[in-house]
Amino acid sequence: MATQESPPPGTSSAMRNAFGTVLSALILLLIGVLAFSIRLFSVIKYESVIHEFDPYFNYRVTQFLSKNGIYEFWNWFDDRTWYPLGRVIGGTVYPGLTLTAGTIWWALNAINIPLSVETVCVFTAPVFSAFASWATYLLTKEVKGSGAGLAAAALLAMVPSYISRSVAGSYDNEAVAIFALIFTFYLYIKTLNTGSLFYATLNALTYFYMVCSWGGYTFIINLIPMHVLLCIVTGRYSPRLYIAYAPLVVLGTLLAALVPVVGFNAVLTSEHFASFLVFIIIHVVALVYYIKGILSPKMFKVAVTLVVSIGLVVCLIVVAVLVALVASSPTGGWSGRSLSLLDPTYASKYIPIIASVSEHQPPTWPSYFMDINVLAFLVPAGIIACFSPLSDASSFVVLYIVMSVYFSGVMVRLMLVLAPAACIMSGIALSQAFDVFTASIKYQLGRSSNSKDDAEDNTSTNNAPKDDSSSGKTDKGEEVAKERSSKKGKKKEREPADKPSVKSKIAKKRALVLPLEASIVALLLLIMLGAFYVIHCVWAAAEAYSAPSIVLTSQSRDGLHVFDDFRESYAWLSHNTDVDDKVASWWDYGYQTTAMANRTVIVDNNTWNNTHIATVGTAMSSPEKAAWEIFNSLDVKYVLVVFGGLIGYPSDDINKFLWMVRIGGGVFPHIKEADYLRDGQYRIDSEATPTMLNCLMYKLSYYRFVETDGKAYDRVRRTEIGKKNFKLTHFEEVFTSHHWMVRIYKLKPQKNRIRGRAKKLKLKTSSGLDSKPAKKNPWI
Amino acid sequence: MAINKKLLSLLLLVSSLSSIALSSSSFSDPDSDSDLTNELVSLRSNSESGVIHLDDHGISKFLISSPTPRPYSILVFFDATQLHSKTELRLQELRREFHLLSATFLAANNNGSDLNKLFFCEIEFSQSQSSFKRFNVNALPHIRLVTASTSKLTDESGQMDQSDFSRLAESMAEFVEQRTKLTVGPIQRPPLLSKPQISVIVAMIVVAAPFVVKRILRGETLLHDHRLWLSGAIFVYFFSVAGTMHNIIRKMPMFLQDRNDPNKLVFFYQGSGMQLGAEGFAVGFLYTVVGLLLAFVTNVLVRVGNVNVQRLVMLVALVVSSWAVKQVVYLDNWKTGYGIHPYWPSSWQ
Repeated sequence: MATQESPPPGTSSAMRNAFGTVLSALILLLIGVLAFSIRLFSVIKYESVIHEFDPYFNYRVTQFLSKNGIYEFWNWFDDRTWYPLGRVIGGTVYPGLTLTAGTIWWALNAINIPLSVETVCVFTAPVFSAFASWATYLLTKEVKGSGAGLAAAALLAMVPSYISRSVAGSYDNEAVAIFALIFTFYLYIKTLNTGSLFYATLNALTYFYMVCSWGGYTFIINLIPMHVLLCIVTGRYSPRLYIAYAPLVVLGTLLAALVPVVGFNAVLTSEHFASFLVFIIIHVVALVYYIKGILSPKMFKVAVTLVVSIGLVVCLIVVAVLVALVASSPTGGWSGRSLSLLDPTYASKYIPIIASVSEHQPPTWPSYFMDINVLAFLVPAGIIACFSPLSDASSFVVLYIVMSVYFSGVMVRLMLVLAPAACIMSGIALSQAFDVFTASIKYQLGRSSNSKDDAEDNTSTNNAPKDDSSSGKTDKGEEVAKERSSKKGKKKEREPADKPSVKSKIAKKRALVLPLEASIVALLLLIMLGAFYVIHCVWAAAEAYSAPSIVLTSQSRDGLHVFDDFRESYAWLSHNTDVDDKVASWWDYGYQTTAMANRTVIVDNNTWNNTHIATVGTAMSSPEKAAWEIFNSLDVKYVLVVFGGLIGYPSDDINKFLWMVRIGGGVFPHIKEADYLRDGQYRIDSEATPTMLNCLMYKLSYYRFVETDGKAYDRVRRTEIGKKNFKLTHFEEVFTSHHWMVRIYKLKPQKNRIRGRAKKLKLKTSSGLDSKPAKKNPWI
Repeated sequence: MAINKKLLSLLLLVSSLSSIALSSSSFSDPDSDSDLTNELVSLRSNSESGVIHLDDHGISKFLISSPTPRPYSILVFFDATQLHSKTELRLQELRREFHLLSATFLAANNNGSDLNKLFFCEIEFSQSQSSFKRFNVNALPHIRLVTASTSKLTDESGQMDQSDFSRLAESMAEFVEQRTKLTVGPIQRPPLLSKPQISVIVAMIVVAAPFVVKRILRGETLLHDHRLWLSGAIFVYFFSVAGTMHNIIRKMPMFLQDRNDPNKLVFFYQGSGMQLGAEGFAVGFLYTVVGLLLAFVTNVLVRVGNVNVQRLVMLVALVVSSWAVKQVVYLDNWKTGYGIHPYWPSSWQ
């Protein structure tokens, strides 16, 4: 606002611009610090430790990378997991996160800062959150000027949805992927606004980084084509659009195919087909525009029918080929997850395993309030602001928010993709609102007092409580000026940037202002809304999203209780078992066991082989002897179960047991869910079915449980267990952690067969074939 | 002699009677069984999907009076027209699925020997209340398999569990295959559009395409209207934040009836994992209205010349907005137990 107030002479304008630049740089720096530090609650409240499940795998991979180098990592075959199958790590992970953290670690060590790999991994996510908020600033600045950019960056720095995936210690793909996502969008918009091939190339490279980092890259490769199509359909085609899109598809697809986990999927799966289709369309359209340029209008009319019909025929052929390709693959070429996004009821009907994961549930309205909080109120205003006036860039962010909000409605997990869009929109809305209200206040004050006080008014606006947005206004004018001077010969791209200034000039002329007192009240209310947002975000970061879930705490009357059973038991495993022993547990604990105990596991969180998981599920749901045979056939020495009945830890194996039965029964039909259910419910009390009371999971969980309180009262299920006193025949207890959360059992060695021994020996001598009796497949 | 003759004839009568009785008990079975089966087959052929509509009479004929190792099993769907309006029971949907299952079974076993071993029947509550009593059915939806050996109709072992029709016809087929050892075959749902329809649509698209492209090139379609896009975007936003997808996927009703007081309706559900339809729309409206008012004030109201109108409208907008925000915070607090607190320095407390 300040710059437009009075057309200033050169020196003072330069001063003001310089001041604005420095101020916004300072604000950006502070936003970075905020984004980093708000994510440190987990370290302060707990300790610097890797969280949850998947991050442990990433941590282990990073350790391997830092120890053995990139080539070893690329070819790494991991034999400590999915025994006896193993897993090709190099070809099945998105390497972006690992390579990033590995590079940071290497760079720090190269300049003699000896940080451990773990420390680097713990703090990667907060650092990249700061990057992400800066990228948001850049993106929003391209759309609506730097005032909105600063507001959006500040909002993104502390949006709870993003915090939930990027607290210190949450070392997962999303940590870097969100930054890559926003930055790719920024470069796309930048290319669209400038028409520069330099940015287009950078865009393809960031897209490559995104593909390296997260499977969510398909969102980008569908959203950008959609935007291009939208621009074409609404008559916004321009050479800049072509430059922004064509290199991205060609370079981006080539680069994406370099990532082993994507490979030829980049050209073979339906998720990518939209981009190719639009690629063809944009060429047809470009041709039409080109011909229009070189022909007279009359000739063009003749030509257009020709070109359009030929183009249509080509399109139809390509569509037919695509349809044939898609139809030839069983799921129609779409992965189950993508299908459930298009048809929300798909997963619940056909893929119970996708529908079962809590991240894939559709959210209810409180989820929005929890995850984007007051932004949910501001977004509609942002959308409307983007429509006045509508530019290429603003139409892109509108499309982004519409798509992401729809997808987030289908899967709660995609709230993460919505968060940046909501921040951008709210930033735009807030900045516009502050613009109008502060301008009104200033105008009204200026009318009542003397016009001399102009300078003071300026400073007073700058001191306004939300100073990022007000300072942004100083910046916006500067931006326009800079663009005018620096970019020569590109008239078109200046249009969107010019419009705000033109608009505000008109605003000045007509004195488009609001009453003073109402503006002040509105401003105060907006500030209160912002304050509430800050309080909510800090609270969410501190209370809701910081628990590492590997160390648990509970607050009771007699103080804080810490449950460190997991690490206790993994340490026990690594100290008391042989390095090549195999440990069986439900897949949730696979990554942790390999990373923390360094023991071979049968299944882990990378659930690529359903049959193998079903085998473990079957063993857990079978009676002791059958389970022993299954485990023995897999060379398992130890079985680990997680039990929460003593302290009331709800996500233990008994609560996950229904999935063991279901997944096991899905592959091995002799496991029938009905056998475990009483009145349609899993019960472990006196009403439990005999199959339930005899299955391995029940026995391993409740073995000796009655000795704790004499009644064997399960605090999770809130009942006394059905069978209290029993002995184990094929397993022996070797370790139970402090709070009984983790129990480890050893498979008893096979008993000597005393009675039939002589006969066996005789048989052995008579025929060599009999020495190894045909081993019965224990799984069937 | 006369007496003797009389005695003989009596004996003869007795023996012939007993032989008739014997034969009727041992040999006439197949005939009556095949009669019953044939009757069922002819009944089945009357209906398109092969589901036989039975009443009390039919039930007693085919299930009660027929001797127990019946040559057929019967899968009975219990229907009640008066309950069709209750969408949460999904009676109509399940009935459609039941018909589909029957049609699939017929198609799969066409000409097969298993064709006449399983019949699909439905009975309707208002027409055959006594049968409902005989089966001891008190709650719907209820599907019961009466196997060949089932002698007592009250035997509930043949009842299909909730989980068995959760995945509709597919899981029903699994249930049937598991219990009867007959093959039902993969469920073939009729495609949404038949082949001629699809070809007509494709032809129409092909014909219309040049005209559409021409209009697009001229820039005079509805698509060029910003207001359309704007309202579309706002609508999608409202639709999503209201949690409508959740309601569609979970098939949530708009409201529930209070269990304690049937006249009272429950619009808001306490607990974060679930929401009702009306509740979602209400909160979605609250979410959206604040932003719309803000946009109205900053974009439209500034152009109004009259200061008092501006004042009044802004007052209304501010009051409504703060009320909406307050209401959402209150509702969230009520629903999920959400309670936040700021972290002031400890010296301030």
